[in-house]
Amino acid sequence: CDKDFEGINTDPINIINTIPEKLLAPSLVNTLSANMIRNRNFNNELMQVTVSISDGDATVMRYEFGRTWSDYLWNSWYIQINNFKDIYNLAGEPENLNPSYQGISLICQVWVFSMLTDTYGDVPYAQAGEGRNGIVEPAFDKQKDIYLDLFKKLEEANILLAKNTSIENLSDPVYNGNIDKWRKFGNSLYLRLLLRVSGKADVAPTSIAKIKEIVDTNAAKYPIMSNNNESAVLKWTGEAGVGAYVNPYVNGIRVQDFRTPAMCSFFINRLRDWQDPRVDISTYGDNSVCRLGINPTGSGMSGVPSGYSIGAGAVKRSYFYSSDQEVGGKAAGARSLQQSPLAGIIMNYAELQFILSEAALKGWVSGSAETYYNKGIANAINYWVPTFVADPSTAVFKKYVTEADIDWNAGLSEDEKMEQIHIQKYYALFLVDMQQWFEYRRTGHPVLPKGPGLKNGGVMPARMTYPVYVQSANPTNYQAAVAAQGQDEIFTNVWWQKP
Amino acid sequence: QTNIDRTIFFEAQGITLKDAFLQVEKLSGLSINYSNTQLNDQRIVRINKANRSVKETLNVLLNGTSFTFKQSSASNILIIPKPQTNGKLTGKVVDESGAALPGAVIRIVGGVVGQTEDDGKYALNVAPGIYSVEISFISYEKFIAQSVAIKANSLTTLNATLKPSSNDLSEVVVTALGIKREEKSLGYAVTKIDSNQLTDAVSSNWSDALSGKVAGLNLVRSNGGPAGSNKIILRGENNLTGDNEALIVLDGVVINNSGGRRTANASDAVYGTGSDNMPADYGSSVNDINPEDIESVTVLKGPGAAALYGQRGANGAIIITTKSGNSKKKRLGIKFTSNGSVESPNRWPDLQYEYGQGLDGAAHYSYGASSDGASTSGTSSAYGPRFDGQMFYQYDPVTQTQGLIRTPWVPYKNQIRDFFQTGTNLTNSLTLDGAYKNTAARLSITNQNNTWIVPETGMERTSVALSLNSKITSKLNISAKVNYNNRFSDNLPGNGYGNQSLMYWFIFWQPSADLNWLKNYWVNGSENKLIEYPFSSFPENPYAISHEFINRSGRNGLTGNVQASYQFTNELSLQLRTTMDLASERRAQERPYDAGSRLPTGSYREQKIYGQETNIDFLLKYDKNISKDVKMIATVGGSQLRNKYNKTDLRADGLKIPGEYTLENNLYPLVSIPDTSRYRINSFYGVLSTSYKNYLYLDITGRKDWSSVLATPNRTDNVGFFYPSASLSFSLSDYFKLPKAVSLAKLRASVSQVGSGGTTPYRTSYTYSLASNGTYPDSALVNPSTLPNPNLKPLKTTTYEFGTDLRFFGDRLGLDVAYYAGNTKNQILTRTVDRSSGYNTAIINAGQINNSGIEVALNAIPIKHRSGFMWSTYMTFAANRNKIVSLPDSSIILRTGPIAGGQIVAKVGGSMGDLYGRGYVRSPDGQIVYDPVTGNAKITSDVVYIGNTTPKFKFSFGNNFNYKRFSLNVLFDAQVGAVGHSLLNYKMVEQGKLASTLPGRYSGIIGKGVIQNPDGTYRPNDVIAYDIDDYYRSHMGSENAEGSTFSTDFIKFREASLNYSFHPKWLVNTGLSSVTLGIYGRNLFIWSPWPMFDPEFGTLSGSDIVTGFEIGQFPSTRTFGFNLVVGI
Repeated sequence: CDKDFEGINTDPINIINTIPEKLLAPSLVNTLSANMIRNRNFNNELMQVTVSISDGDATVMRYEFGRTWSDYLWNSWYIQINNFKDIYNLAGEPENLNPSYQGISLICQVWVFSMLTDTYGDVPYAQAGEGRNGIVEPAFDKQKDIYLDLFKKLEEANILLAKNTSIENLSDPVYNGNIDKWRKFGNSLYLRLLLRVSGKADVAPTSIAKIKEIVDTNAAKYPIMSNNNESAVLKWTGEAGVGAYVNPYVNGIRVQDFRTPAMCSFFINRLRDWQDPRVDISTYGDNSVCRLGINPTGSGMSGVPSGYSIGAGAVKRSYFYSSDQEVGGKAAGARSLQQSPLAGIIMNYAELQFILSEAALKGWVSGSAETYYNKGIANAINYWVPTFVADPSTAVFKKYVTEADIDWNAGLSEDEKMEQIHIQKYYALFLVDMQQWFEYRRTGHPVLPKGPGLKNGGVMPARMTYPVYVQSANPTNYQAAVAAQGQDEIFTNVWWQKP
Repeated sequence: QTNIDRTIFFEAQGITLKDAFLQVEKLSGLSINYSNTQLNDQRIVRINKANRSVKETLNVLLNGTSFTFKQSSASNILIIPKPQTNGKLTGKVVDESGAALPGAVIRIVGGVVGQTEDDGKYALNVAPGIYSVEISFISYEKFIAQSVAIKANSLTTLNATLKPSSNDLSEVVVTALGIKREEKSLGYAVTKIDSNQLTDAVSSNWSDALSGKVAGLNLVRSNGGPAGSNKIILRGENNLTGDNEALIVLDGVVINNSGGRRTANASDAVYGTGSDNMPADYGSSVNDINPEDIESVTVLKGPGAAALYGQRGANGAIIITTKSGNSKKKRLGIKFTSNGSVESPNRWPDLQYEYGQGLDGAAHYSYGASSDGASTSGTSSAYGPRFDGQMFYQYDPVTQTQGLIRTPWVPYKNQIRDFFQTGTNLTNSLTLDGAYKNTAARLSITNQNNTWIVPETGMERTSVALSLNSKITSKLNISAKVNYNNRFSDNLPGNGYGNQSLMYWFIFWQPSADLNWLKNYWVNGSENKLIEYPFSSFPENPYAISHEFINRSGRNGLTGNVQASYQFTNELSLQLRTTMDLASERRAQERPYDAGSRLPTGSYREQKIYGQETNIDFLLKYDKNISKDVKMIATVGGSQLRNKYNKTDLRADGLKIPGEYTLENNLYPLVSIPDTSRYRINSFYGVLSTSYKNYLYLDITGRKDWSSVLATPNRTDNVGFFYPSASLSFSLSDYFKLPKAVSLAKLRASVSQVGSGGTTPYRTSYTYSLASNGTYPDSALVNPSTLPNPNLKPLKTTTYEFGTDLRFFGDRLGLDVAYYAGNTKNQILTRTVDRSSGYNTAIINAGQINNSGIEVALNAIPIKHRSGFMWSTYMTFAANRNKIVSLPDSSIILRTGPIAGGQIVAKVGGSMGDLYGRGYVRSPDGQIVYDPVTGNAKITSDVVYIGNTTPKFKFSFGNNFNYKRFSLNVLFDAQVGAVGHSLLNYKMVEQGKLASTLPGRYSGIIGKGVIQNPDGTYRPNDVIAYDIDDYYRSHMGSENAEGSTFSTDFIKFREASLNYSFHPKWLVNTGLSSVTLGIYGRNLFIWSPWPMFDPEFGTLSGSDIVTGFEIGQFPSTRTFGFNLVVGI
C-alpha cells in the first residue's frame, strides 16, 4: 500500500545533491545586497553620508531606531552563513574535494561573521548554521572567542588557498576564479580584523604581533592586496532585470526613494571644498555626472547637517541621482550609484592602505604612515575615478592634496594624525557595508558633528539590538547572551568597544 | 381422497397461528407455506377439539382473515390472499399548501403498505375489515385515521393533508463516506443545516451563512475582495500552522485539496513592504458552490464523526449534499430564483478632521517650499496645523504642483469613504428536474454577477449542476453528479499593507486633501509612464491601483462523482464510487510603469494552475438482523486517493511598451517560478454498526492510511498509521418510560483517534532550489529556507466526546449538549526558528496539545398559535480551551507579526494562539509607567504576553417568526475572549489620522499611569508630554505591540430576512406553481471595542487565512438584498 511512495514524495523541482561551485555566487550576491541596503539606510544615516528629510519614521540619523531594524541583517547574514558553511563541507567531501572552495568559504564566513559580531556583539557562532544537524537554537559565543576563531579560520584559508587549486570561473563573480587574489583578500581581511581588536588589552599584543608578521616579517607567507585591481569587489554588470548581477539598489529601492535622502554636509562639503575628483563633474565626470552620482543642485554640491531637530525645516540640497533621472539628455543609468557596477565593495585596496597607515603610525609596522596614507587617498579616488592616478608620487596627486590641504601633516599629534587618516578612510569605506560605523566606534574618528536633535544621549549607538523574535525563537541562549554582554540596548558596548 | 380431505383430530387453545399450522403439518403430513410478511402468523387462534378434515380445519383457522389456501402440489398447501373479496382504498395525499406529495407511505396497520404516485394519489387493495391507516412522509407529521372500514368489492376514499413536522425524531443524516444514518443512532455530534438556512439571506460566499448556526463552528474570513475566501474551523484552532480546516465534502468529493485549494503567488505578501505585488484573494471552488443547489449541509464536528474520512477528517467535516432529481415526480419541475443585493462598508474607524498634514503642530502648511516657509507636504502624518480658516499654498491638481495662490485650509470630512462604491450582486438561477422511467435528473444553471466595493473590481460566476440517478434494475443503481463552475474576474483587489495596496493609501491619505485630486492619476504629459501622487512617495494613487493594477482570474472547476451500487441480496450490497475534482485556473497580474521600486517599468505575470484529485473507493455492506432485537451492519471499504497540482508562473517584470500586457512584451528575460505537488493516500477501513432494540447503538470503526507525504526519497517507515474509534448512543426515552413531556432523551459517547500526515509533500528531504529563480549563469543553487524533517511522523488526535440530545413537549423544546476533550500528539508544525540556525522555518512534530470544549444548541418554539403564528428560536453556545502540555523546546514561534516583535508563540502551559510582543513597562500594580522626562509611555525591550487570539466563547441567537405566509428571521451572534493586533490602528495613530490622537494637541497630555521615582517607588504620572506624535507613538507606534492590540469581542446583527410565499390559489391563472418573495440583510451591525473595520478579520498568509494580526484589512460590508423564487 505504499508502492512508489518514495518516488511520489521526491520533489520534482528542487535538487537533492549539489556541488560547492553552485552555491558560491548567490551567497556572495545575497550578502552584498544586504550590506548595501543597510549601508544606505543605516550606516550612511549614522555616519553622516546622508540625512533623511522626513517625519519621525526613520530617525537613524538621530540615534533613535526601532528594534525592527535588527532583523534584516541578522536574518540575511545567517542564511548566507549556512550557504558558505555548506560550501566548505561539500568541498571537503571526497568526490568534490577542492581546497580553494574551502578557503574561499572560510574567508567569506569570516567576512560575514565579523560583520555580525561587530553589529550585534556576542552572537551565535560555533553552532550557527547547524540547523541541519539538529541545532535550531544555537548558543551565543563571546565576541572575543569569535574573533580568535576567525583568525584561525583565516590562517587555515591562507594555507588552503596556497595550494592554488583551480575553481570554476563562472562560480566566482568577485575574482573570476583567481585563487591568488582570494588569498590576498583573506590576508587583507585578517589585517582589518586584527586592527579592530588591537585596542583590547587582552588580545593587543598578539594582534599587533600578527599584524607585524603579516606586513613585515612573514610577508611572503601572507600575501596581501597590492593594487585596486585586487580589491574584493563584486561588479554589478547585469542590467536592470537581466541576470543575477544587478545592483541591488535597482530591485530593492524605488527610484523616487533612492533620490530621497539628502547628502549630509559632513560628507559632501569636504569633497566639494577639496575639489575632489570624485565629485568633480567637469574634469572627471562622466557625461555631466560626477563619479559618485551626486546631484550638484543649482549652486553646487552642498548638504544638510545631520541630527537636526524635528521640525527644523531642513531643506534637501544635493542627493544621489536615481538611475531614471535625466542628466545631460539621458537617464543617469549606471552613472547613478543605483546602477553603478562599482557599488558592490567587499574590501578595497584603499582601506588596506589606511589600515597599514594606522599600524605604521602606531609603530607596529615598519613602513611610513604617510606613504600608506597617500596611497590610500590616491587609490580611494582611483577606484571611483579611473582616469585619476593611483600613484601618489605623480604631480596630479600632489597638486590635488596640496590644493585640498589634506597632505600629510607630520607635525600633528597622534590623535590628530588618526583623524587625518580616518577622514580619508571614511571616504574609502564609502558603500562598504557598515565599516564606517565600526571604525568610528573603534576609534572615534572621524569626529562627527553632533546635531541638536540627537537621542541616545548624543552617543553613537554601539550596536544593533538582537531581533525581538530571537527572544522567543532562542530564549535560553538569548537570556544567557544578555546576561553576559549587558542590556540588549543600542548603548551597550560590544567587547572590543569596552574599555 | 386427497390429502386435504383427510380427517385430523385437532384443537387449538390460544396458540399462535404459526404453531397451529405446525401441528396441522404434523398431523396431516402436508407442508403449509405462507409469507409471514403478509399473514400475521402470531395471531392467537382457538378451535375446539374435534375431528375435521384438513380443509375444514384450515378454513376455521383462517376465518376472519383475508386469506384462503390452495393445494399447490400433492403435499403442499399455499396460504394465499383472498383476492376476489378485497376492497379498494384510494385517496390523495397533499401538503399544507395543497401540493401533491409523491412517495408518501400509506400503511394499513396489520395489512398492506403502499406509496403515493406523482400526483399524490394512491390506490391499495385491502381485505375487508376495519383498519387504522397511517400515512407518513419524511419531515411531515404522521397522519393517522382510525376505524377505516373496507368493504369487499367497494371503494373507500381516504384523503390526507400532512403537516410539516417541526423536528423529525428519526431524521436521517448523511455521515462520513456518504453513509446515511438515523440521527438517533449516532454517538457523536452532528448538525444539519437545511438549504433554506443558506438561501434566506444569501451571501456571495455561501459558507458565510454557516455563521451562528452551528455551535463550535468558527469562520475565518479574508474579506479580501469579491471572491473572499473563508476558512472553516470546527472546535477551536488547535493546529495553527498546519492543516486545521474542516474537510469540505461536496457530494462525496473532498474538495479542499484540489478545486478548493487556495493558491498564493510566490512573493506576494500581505505585509508587502518589499513593494512587490499584493496578494489578491482568488477564492477557490469552495466559494463557488451554488447555495441554490445545496440540499443539506451536515456538520460533523469532531474526529469521532469524521474518523472514516481518515487523516483529512481530523478537523471535522462539512458534508454538502446537492439536490437530486425526484424519481417519484413524473412532471417536469421548473424553478427560477433571482437574488440581488447591494453591499457597502458597515463600519469605519473614527478619523480626525481637526488637524491637517504636517508634524508637531506646525503653524504653517506649504505644498513644497513657498513664501510661507519650508515644505511640509513630504510627511504622511496629520499632526500639522489645525483647521482654523487659514489659507495656505496647497496642491493644485490641474498643474500637479504647488498652487499659485493660497487656498483655504479645510478638512474633507469622511470624504475618504467615497473612494469605496456600493457593491452589487445579481444571481439568477434556473432549475429543471424530472424523471423518465427509471431515471431522475436535475439540472440547474446559475449566473452571478458581482461588482465589489473597490471600484473596477468584481467577478462573474456561472455554474451548472447536473444530477442523474438511474435504477437500472431493482438491484443496480447508478448515479452521477457533476458540478461545473466557471468564474471569471477581470480585476480582484490586492490585499494588505504595501505601496500597491489600497488600504495602505487609506492609512496615508490626508484629512486636508481632496479625494478628487487623485482622479487624474497620470503625471501630466507622462500618461502610462508615471503615476501622480501629491504627497510622499510611499503610497500609490488608489485610482491608479483600481484601474491599472489588475489581477485577472479565469477558473473552470469540475467536481463530479459516479457511483454504482449493487444489491446482491437483501443483506449484502456493494458500492463502487469514483470521484474527481478538477480545477484549472489562469491568472494574470498587470502592473503599469511606475508601479513601485520592484516594478519601475511595470510587469505582467501569468499563472496557470491545474489541480486534480481522484479518489476511487469501494464499500461492501452487510446488513444482518442477527435476532429480532440485535441488528448489525458491517461495512468495509478501501480507497485510493491521488492528488496532483501544477502551477506555472511566468513573469515579465518589466515591459517594453507600457500598458501592453503580454509575456512577449518583456523588457527582461522571463522568470519562471514553477510549483508542483503530488501525493497519494491509500486506505482501508471498516465500520461495524450494531443496535440493540431501538435504544442502544454502538459503532466501531477502524482505518489505516498510508500517506505518501510521510515517505522520504529512500524509505517509507512512517507512512502507514492505524486509528480506531467507537461511539455509543443510548436512547433513554426508548428504554425507560419517561414522562410524556419528554419526547426524546438520548445520551451519546465516543472515543476516537485520527492520524494525519498532512497534505503537503516534500517536507521530508533536504533540497536545494535554484537561486533567484534560475537567473544565475550555470544555474546556481541555494540552501532551502525551511528545514525539512526526514523523520516526520503522523500526528495523532484522540478525542473523547459525551453528549446528550433532549427534546420535550413534542419537540417544542430541544437541547443538544456536547462536551469533548482530547489531545493531539506529534502535531506537524512549521516553526519559525532563529535564523542563526541557517533557516527561516523548520518542520517539526510538536509535543502534545490538549483541547477541550463544550457546545450547546437550544431550540424552542415558545409560541405556536392556532391563528398560524409561530415563534421559534434557537441559541448556540460554544467554548473551547486548549493547553500546550509538552513541546520539543521551551518556546516555539508559530507566526510573526509585522511590528514590535508581535508573534504567536507556543509555550508549555500556554495555549495555541498566545500573542506576545513588546508592550508597556508596568508598575507592580499593573499601571503603565511613563518616562519622567518626556512623559511618554515606556516600552519593554523584552516581549511580554499580550493575549490570546482565539475566541474563548461563541454565541448565537436566532429567531424565526411565522405568520400565515410570512416568515421573519433574525440572527445575532457574538464572540468573546480574544485579542488581535491592528496594523491599521498602529499606523494611523502614528500618523495622527485617528480621533484617538486628538487629546493633547498641542497643550500636552498626561498619560494615565505612574512615574517611577529615583528611589524605585511610583507616583501618579504628573509629567506633561508635549511631543504629541511621540507620545502616541509610545502607546501605539511600531515599538509597542500591546498598544495596538484590542479585544475582538463582538456582537453582530448577522442576518435578517423577511419572506412571503404567495398562496397557490392566487397563482392559479398565472401558470406558476409557487412564488416566494423575500428581502434580507446581512452583517447589519457590529458592536465591538475593535477600533477598525471588523473584529472578525482574517489575513491572507500564503495559501492560508490567519487570525491574530490584522494587516491592512478591507472594510467589511453590510448587505441588503432580495430573493425571488418562482416555480413553474
